[in-house]
Amino acid sequence: MRRLALMCLLVAAFLPAPVRAERDECEVPPDLAQMGERLPRLAARLEAREPVTIVAIGGASTKGAAAGAPDLAYPSRLQEALSALYPGVPIKVVNKGVPRQTAAQMFDRFPSDVIAEDPVLTIWETGIVDAVRGVEIDEFAGAVQRGIDELRNRDIDIILVDMQFSRSTATVIDFERYLHTLHRIGDLNDIYVFPRYAMMRYWSEENVFNFDGVAADDRAKLAARVYNCIGRRLAAAIRRAVP
Amino acid sequence: MPEPSNRRDLRLDFFRGVALVFIFVDHIPENFLSYFTLQAVAFFDAAEVFIFISGFTAAIVYGQRLAAKGWLYATAQIWRRAWQLYVAHVFLFVIFIAEVSYTAMAFNNPMYNEEMRVADFLDQPYISVIKALLLQFQPTFLDILPLYIVMMLIFPVILLGISYRPSLVLIPSLAAYLAVQLFGVPVPAYPEGHVWYFNPLAWQFLFVSGAVLGQFWARGRSLPRLMPALLPLALVLLGAVLVVRVSWTLSSLWDGFPALFLREMWPVNKSNLSPLRLVPFFAAVLVVAAWIGPQARFLRARAARPLVVAGQQSLEVFCLGIVLSALGHFVLAEFPHGIAMQLAVNAVGILAMLLFAGMIDWYKRMDRAPMVAAGGGAR
Repeated sequence: MRRLALMCLLVAAFLPAPVRAERDECEVPPDLAQMGERLPRLAARLEAREPVTIVAIGGASTKGAAAGAPDLAYPSRLQEALSALYPGVPIKVVNKGVPRQTAAQMFDRFPSDVIAEDPVLTIWETGIVDAVRGVEIDEFAGAVQRGIDELRNRDIDIILVDMQFSRSTATVIDFERYLHTLHRIGDLNDIYVFPRYAMMRYWSEENVFNFDGVAADDRAKLAARVYNCIGRRLAAAIRRAVP
Repeated sequence: MPEPSNRRDLRLDFFRGVALVFIFVDHIPENFLSYFTLQAVAFFDAAEVFIFISGFTAAIVYGQRLAAKGWLYATAQIWRRAWQLYVAHVFLFVIFIAEVSYTAMAFNNPMYNEEMRVADFLDQPYISVIKALLLQFQPTFLDILPLYIVMMLIFPVILLGISYRPSLVLIPSLAAYLAVQLFGVPVPAYPEGHVWYFNPLAWQFLFVSGAVLGQFWARGRSLPRLMPALLPLALVLLGAVLVVRVSWTLSSLWDGFPALFLREMWPVNKSNLSPLRLVPFFAAVLVVAAWIGPQARFLRARAARPLVVAGQQSLEVFCLGIVLSALGHFVLAEFPHGIAMQLAVNAVGILAMLLFAGMIDWYKRMDRAPMVAAGGGAR
């Protein structure tokens, strides 16, 4: 009996640990996993089993260079997760991340980077650079609203993604107002705002992902795991909006 | 005990003290206590209170100097004050640089490096430091002192104008304010594309209004005819603002709660001092002036004393508040922050500000006290 227990332990030790950890590490509290809004156009497309194009427009964290390779960025992870959820539907998530752009600058890219791709859903990750640069709240709000109106006029579903959380930079960058503004715009327009900031803070506080004391070489791997979780959580949210 | 001069308007000191505490509380992001400050119940916040009272007291203090010793002397005194504010600003900027450099060095993370880098300006310190000295570079929370400094720089002219004929100053001031409202004239800052967070062309109107009223007050004049007629109107306005703003606050806490008129009124522009902020603020001033006497009992109470003293030592307490809110934020970011930790940080910060004010007050009193043989304790 004893020997059997030891065997089990040994076997467990040699099981691919990351797989086991991965399943748990993306967990978030239920209130962060809520999704009340609908994505009607995406739903129709999926129902008809027609090819789906999703554009992920955003900044450095959308581009995902920190993880080391494009397929480790969150849009790729999202594409993989969605394809698993909807087998038989060709799903493509196009990555249009360009670092260091404000909401207004991203909006200027809409014609070439979003509209030209003819997406059914656009995921817009924005607000970081506006907060870092201290862009006026009105201007930020105005740019996001213009973007929403533009996408709505073209019958494209929208998800907004809020900022990244980082314990250290939070002390010198005033994220709160921009975060609040983005969520309020979401409320006003009945658009889902993916709570990336709150999720990342949860992971940081629960020590799921903690960059402190991690060697420089391992940081890219850690970044990739965070992006992976972001992609999966986004897929889960979309799943909830598209029954 | 009240100050030696019994005519001192304790309302100014008290509400400025309260404003300083609120500024500290509001500057700590996601602070639970900020649900209990002005900004949670009104469109305006402690910044309006601070600037208005600063204008009001400046008119009283320097108005006396002007009457007693002439314009040149008053100007010298005002610019000396502007210089103190400037030195305080530079001091805060140095602390900010220290904080940012520390963050940038201690923390090097690929996920944030590319666009959440706070230390960009360290790449070109020769530009950003000079821009900061010229009040052009205003990092987070270092934005209200530049406004105050500019106000003090032009105050000799304002003071001369209002002592001669207030409308001479009020009309151009209002015109500039309206121009900003109508055409949105921004005041550019550094780096390229930034603007003054507190647009001086708009906010000067609040400062000037305070100064004009302060000068009226100092001369023993009041506006008796208008007051009773406007008071009910002001109360209704304040009540409406309260209901709307509180509904916004509650709706951000509970999803189901309706946010009244949010679509129509939000966002309320702070940089340009939107009329939605200014008009209710004036209404609040009217209500306070009508209902609370300069020496009201609660202002003289022992419990109010620390806030009154903090209001009297406003510059020092303000600077300490800015440093403490940065420190408090740092503590909350570094350590797991439950509600207890948050309350502790708030309590320690507020206590430190009040004690510091008490200390300066004590020191200044000792300094002023005549040196008698047994008075070795003065130094």
